[in-house]
Amino acid sequence: MTNGIVVEHLSKHFKVHEREAGLRGALHSLLKRSFHTVRAVDDISFTIEPGEIVGFLGPNGAGKTTTMKMLSGLLHPSGGRVNVGGFVPFQQKEAFKKRITLVMGQKSQLIWDIPASETFLINQAIYEIPDAQFRETMGELTQLLELEPLLKKPVRNLSLGERMKCELAASLLHRPDIIFLDEPTIGLDVNMQETVRRFIKEYNERFNATILLTSHYMADVTALCKRVIIINHGHIPFDGDLNQLVNTHAPFKVAKLVFARPVDRHDLDKYGEVLQYEYPQASIQIPRAAVSEQASRMLAELPVQDFTIEDPPMEDVIGMAFAAEEGA
Amino acid sequence: MKKALRYSRLLFLMVKLAISEEMEYRSNFFANVLSTVSGLFVSLLTLQVFFNQTQAIGGWSFEQVLVLLGIFNALDGVVKMVLRPNIGRIVQHIRKGTLDLILTKPVDSQFYVSFRHILFWPITDVLMGLGLVVYGVLQMGIAITVTNLLWFALLFVAALVTLYGIWMLLMTMSFWFVKVENLTFLFTSLFETARFPVQVYRGILRALLTYVFPVAVLTTFPAAALVGKLNGTDALISVSIAVLMVVVARQFWKMALRNYTSASS
Repeated sequence: MTNGIVVEHLSKHFKVHEREAGLRGALHSLLKRSFHTVRAVDDISFTIEPGEIVGFLGPNGAGKTTTMKMLSGLLHPSGGRVNVGGFVPFQQKEAFKKRITLVMGQKSQLIWDIPASETFLINQAIYEIPDAQFRETMGELTQLLELEPLLKKPVRNLSLGERMKCELAASLLHRPDIIFLDEPTIGLDVNMQETVRRFIKEYNERFNATILLTSHYMADVTALCKRVIIINHGHIPFDGDLNQLVNTHAPFKVAKLVFARPVDRHDLDKYGEVLQYEYPQASIQIPRAAVSEQASRMLAELPVQDFTIEDPPMEDVIGMAFAAEEGA
Repeated sequence: MKKALRYSRLLFLMVKLAISEEMEYRSNFFANVLSTVSGLFVSLLTLQVFFNQTQAIGGWSFEQVLVLLGIFNALDGVVKMVLRPNIGRIVQHIRKGTLDLILTKPVDSQFYVSFRHILFWPITDVLMGLGLVVYGVLQMGIAITVTNLLWFALLFVAALVTLYGIWMLLMTMSFWFVKVENLTFLFTSLFETARFPVQVYRGILRALLTYVFPVAVLTTFPAAALVGKLNGTDALISVSIAVLMVVVARQFWKMALRNYTSASS
């Protein structure tokens, strides 16, 4: 029954209406409309195995959402083939819809003025979930996501993170085995991001669900995905192991320091590449292999008041991965 | 058949949840009664002003217009219960992208956007409207035959269906126009003309209000059926327009979706 996701030479081209600026342009476009074609997704292919969690990364406007929409049956492809769980998504069969779910961090299916439990009941009816299974799944989700205190409150009284938990529950009630997560942690605080992440992992393990995830948070990707697919300008410059991507393109971490008293900038050079120094703060880029050694040296030798080590922002890693691609 | 059963069950659940939900907000009930009563009071006052000058407008007596006004209020209640909180939101679904979430559900999307969130308390408008209908009929002091009642029931359903069709058509335009507030405004102002029998409007305006924006179907014909003024042609127009409206609205919605998913070109 689980067939994963197979994408072959998939394309989506949009015709965009062009208009020149000014009154002249407006009149001109009224008489003769000129169009140009945007290749939002341009001949991409990949396969995702059942039970796999894959990170789908790329800068804004790269074609992530367009691809997700084609995979979930919302957009009709301009070319190529898609097979999701044995179905052609755009045929929009009910049997297909009962096996997938689409969760978008910035879009909610919950109704503002009423408690989320109402949406759960409606979804039970829509997905034709038998009562016994509904109670069981609801129980599991309530426990995993700690929903109990949230169920009776109107959605407008919930925090962003609490709303996301309810959103996830509403989207997973029918136990889909193919899940599209578009920025599920966007805007959430660190604890809540962690909770959502743990939940996704747990769900994946319990139901062997196939998950395609987009996120701008490095932590989401590193915690959940062994494999990432990078998309840019509608192409896929990288599809493979996350570690390989990071080691190749961003083999370093960034140490952020706050000093108790000014230090000489040249004294910092020996620890790594100084990205920025403006008393009291400095950030220094350190090769991954040397992180722990350099960190203990800095703590011992410098008047450090505050100290953190961070991964380079995902955007940077992707940016570098794909700058390398274009250079090649 | 199985499908019809499934969707009526869904609709029943949505109404049930609406009721249980709004029992929690009893203050809304009083607010609604208050606004209904004051609305009715004002329109009755206006009618009084008219009928101080004349015995009949467009061939309708005061009591007959009361019946019509009752039907108008009942329909207005339905707009507030079902149409405004649902179909009025299509714009937001498109703007915020939540339509995508609806389209991935194994349910008819038009059904979902039409009935997902029903408000219950505007039922007071419906009940008071129907109360006014009964009052008008009693004041006329005529015997209502079963035939009249059945015709009324049929044409009232035709009115509901037509009203739904008009709203759905207008709101579906939001796939192309970003500012549909104007359309809502247009609808409201045209709907207001249904407070009076279509016979008070003359010439081309009456034709427009019968066929193009079928206000006559909404209130004039059902009221005529009840007070015994209905002729066969009007009944036929009513039912035909109702059927035409839902069919056109359905096709228009499907066309809009094809366009939205860019499967049309």
